[in-house]
Amino acid sequence: MAIVTEYYLLLSAAVFCIGVYGILTRRNALVFLMSVELMLNAANINLVAFSFHHGNLTGQVFSLFTMAIAAAEVAVGIGIILVLYRNFQDVDVTKAATMRW
Amino acid sequence: MTSRPRLATDVNVINGLAAVALFVVMGYVFVTASLPAPSGFPDGSITASIGYAMFGLVDQAAIESEGFLVAFEIIDVLLVAALVGGVMLARRESDGSVVTALTDGGRRLRGNGDSTEADADETSTDGGEH
Repeated sequence: MAIVTEYYLLLSAAVFCIGVYGILTRRNALVFLMSVELMLNAANINLVAFSFHHGNLTGQVFSLFTMAIAAAEVAVGIGIILVLYRNFQDVDVTKAATMRW
Repeated sequence: MTSRPRLATDVNVINGLAAVALFVVMGYVFVTASLPAPSGFPDGSITASIGYAMFGLVDQAAIESEGFLVAFEIIDVLLVAALVGGVMLARRESDGSVVTALTDGGRRLRGNGDSTEADADETSTDGGEH
């Protein structure tokens, strides 16, 4: 018995909204990265759910590529957070209010 | 000394309401959408079919999909570029000095007591206050 696609969509919406809430609320840049990861994985859930819905594997393969792009994004993000910490001795995103003095 | 994690009580309620409202809107759309029953996959190895799809050999796959060979190669280049970019941002010279993207913030860097931080301050800032 297959689970209907609407439940996957509801799960995906919940994960996405948790990511949005994390980005709106948190001040730690590392938690920002985790929240962006949550939102990307919500999109992955949708891709896999509709892949099963249509009986076509394109969505599953595409979600693999999305994961690879998420890994690249995290690599650059961690590098930026390292520079942020060197310049401000903190990873609080609200402290980095100016780009240059 | 360690401290246990505590529940954050100074959160912004408006942000939480915005996120919940977004969930309600999306949930309403999803529940009221009239989707047909999922068709599911035909018999055959899903894993093998994903592998064939990634390398563009869709005619050998048991389950229908598109070919992704070009996307696979582009992702390869993207991952290498991200790796090099991350290393370039995080790199230090062999003597411990920071070489990229360091500003003085309008004041001398707060070194943590060791001389390498002071050296980094001397060599890497843009000289705005010197």
